[in-house]
Amino acid sequence: MDLGILLQILFWGIYAGCIYILLATGLNLIFGVMKIVNFAHGEFLMIGAYITATVFLLTGLNPYAIILISMLALIGIGAVVERLCFRPILGTGKLNEIFLSIGLIYIIQNGVAVIWGDEWQSVQSPYEGITVPVGALNVPLDYIVIMVVTTAILCGLYLFLKRTKTGREMRATSQNRKGAMLVGINVERMDVLSFGIGCALAAAAGTLWVVSGQIFNPYMGSIPAVKAFAIIILGGLGSIPGAIAGGLLYGIAENSAAYFLGGVWKDAVSFILLIVVLVIRPTGLFGESGE
Amino acid sequence: MKYTVLFIVGILIATAVIAGCTQQQAAPGAGEIKVGVIASLTGPASNVGKNMWQSAQVAAEEINAKGGVSIKGTKVPLKLVVGDDESTQQGGQKAATQLITGDKVDILVGGYSSAVTSAYEQTIAEFKIPFVVTGASSPIITHRTDIDTSYVFHHCPTTDTYGQYTTMFIDQVLRPAVNKKLGAAADRPFRLALIYQDTAFGKGVQTAVNNTITKDKLNIVLVSQQSFKMGESDFRTPLTAIKATNPDAVYIAAFPNEGAPMITQARRDLGLDTIFLNVENNDNAQFYKDLGQYGEGAIIESRFSPYTAPAGALADAQSTFKNSYNAKWGTFPDMMGASTYEGVYIATQAISNAGTTDKTTVKQALADLSMPQIIEAMKGGMISFTKDFRESQFDLWMEQLAYDQSIGECRPKIVWPDNLKVTDFALPSWYKAGTA
Repeated sequence: MDLGILLQILFWGIYAGCIYILLATGLNLIFGVMKIVNFAHGEFLMIGAYITATVFLLTGLNPYAIILISMLALIGIGAVVERLCFRPILGTGKLNEIFLSIGLIYIIQNGVAVIWGDEWQSVQSPYEGITVPVGALNVPLDYIVIMVVTTAILCGLYLFLKRTKTGREMRATSQNRKGAMLVGINVERMDVLSFGIGCALAAAAGTLWVVSGQIFNPYMGSIPAVKAFAIIILGGLGSIPGAIAGGLLYGIAENSAAYFLGGVWKDAVSFILLIVVLVIRPTGLFGESGE
Repeated sequence: MKYTVLFIVGILIATAVIAGCTQQQAAPGAGEIKVGVIASLTGPASNVGKNMWQSAQVAAEEINAKGGVSIKGTKVPLKLVVGDDESTQQGGQKAATQLITGDKVDILVGGYSSAVTSAYEQTIAEFKIPFVVTGASSPIITHRTDIDTSYVFHHCPTTDTYGQYTTMFIDQVLRPAVNKKLGAAADRPFRLALIYQDTAFGKGVQTAVNNTITKDKLNIVLVSQQSFKMGESDFRTPLTAIKATNPDAVYIAAFPNEGAPMITQARRDLGLDTIFLNVENNDNAQFYKDLGQYGEGAIIESRFSPYTAPAGALADAQSTFKNSYNAKWGTFPDMMGASTYEGVYIATQAISNAGTTDKTTVKQALADLSMPQIIEAMKGGMISFTKDFRESQFDLWMEQLAYDQSIGECRPKIVWPDNLKVTDFALPSWYKAGTA
């Protein structure tokens, strides 16, 4: 077995993991604070992809710079969705959340199809064709930038949650909602903030999806959303480090399976990994009992 | 609570209204011929599916402009009803059932993914309704024996046909060109890699390629055979595996939304500078757009292209269809659109010949059909179905793509066979042959 090929597969796994990490971290942040199940989370990735492509085509801005616009737009969209859709049904049962999010999938997909059409689209990164040597590999610059951007976003999120008053309030709400209310934290504000930030992380994943040259259409969000759910269960519900570790594991497992067993095993092996982890540790890699 | 209920009801109504915008509903009516078109209007295959549905509408407009379908000397208006298979097997079963039992169509046309189409063939067999398949190319569509397929007629080449055809092109054109470039002996084995969708369609191509190499004792070695799931968008890992085997060329059995990113990722991310051979369903305007400069040098097996046509009698007919389609939809039809356009004509001709919409009589009329070719080149210049598996016989060709910087897209030129070609196949200057 050629070590160079194994390193190449690992590299593609880490790249895929970056997209999954951002999507799953956002989903976990929302679940941690609000304890809601949102199957429409992948649609926010899809909207992020469309916003990136649209702004890029209209302005010619560097698509990596558009990530900020995309994230800001999704904070706003997420806040509206939380306020109008999820807040009224909060605490009324998981079934309501599930059906509401399924309804949102249809509404968002059809809405985007009406606005942008449902043709497959793609965008060319300004860095495509540029490769850089990384050890024994010669890899496209875009994927290095994607890994750096993902790391930067995660560091920013870490600092926000650990070093700011709002971040600490959000963590407190995540740990004990009633306790947080008793000490005067406005938990509804935390809900809208966490939902907005979660959607912004999905938007960042959408932007990176686009700049890596992957095609997108209004229906592309559902499969990444299912994978994001598997990742947060694998990593531990509500755990941000769990989402990061789970995303990386998932990306590497998928690509290793595609190489060693064939492409049809790509999804299956990841779910086998999920089952194995849950059998050994039912709360997931970083989860705590009670979630 | 009251507001919550009102809100959810509002969402449900909005969903229904938006979903309704994408589908033409038909009210049952007398005095009209109803043709049901099954196409993938949503999901991964929606690009091709929309093309099929829009092409069918062009055909229907032309037929109605001439007064409709002639039945025993009387002109009857033609009405199309679409069923969205959602690019899924469940969606296909739902669409077929709705068209047959709800809309009560007289005949069905369409069907794209072989996996999806074969899933609702059981419904076709149960209700015994004639079905002209214009997109699904797996031979199992009419060869399977587990259900009655006698009402199904296949109006597109099967994977057996074009898999064999493409392999012959590789042996007769590509292999000598690579040997010449390398200065290698004529008996140097050609190193072919295959990457295929893990469905009846993709496996059909894989089987055809393997069988052709074995049966004809071709000097071609399959150095890698990689599969992927339908709708996949990240092909970097299987392409890495392919690159490691140093192929002379890569044959791709994929849909346009898979083939374009696959070639882009291979050339841009992996530096796999080789010849990519594509299946005919990729001869699609969106495919050219998505490929950009990375399509340079690629090959498409084809029988109808949005951007080229073989010289001869059909050039004008193809041009008229493309212009009508472009005038109505602002873009160009693809190959699946062309066969669906013809499928509507075939369906209505069969009903006209039968002189009735009785399903059994129409089925027999399809079996006996012999009508002049319309826009695609048919064997012997006539559209008819074989007696054994009810398959029409097409004349195929191979196109090579060349990048046109002024439009930022590639355009095809026919390079094989000799009687149709407008130029010779050429290896691009950047091409890297494989090594053992």
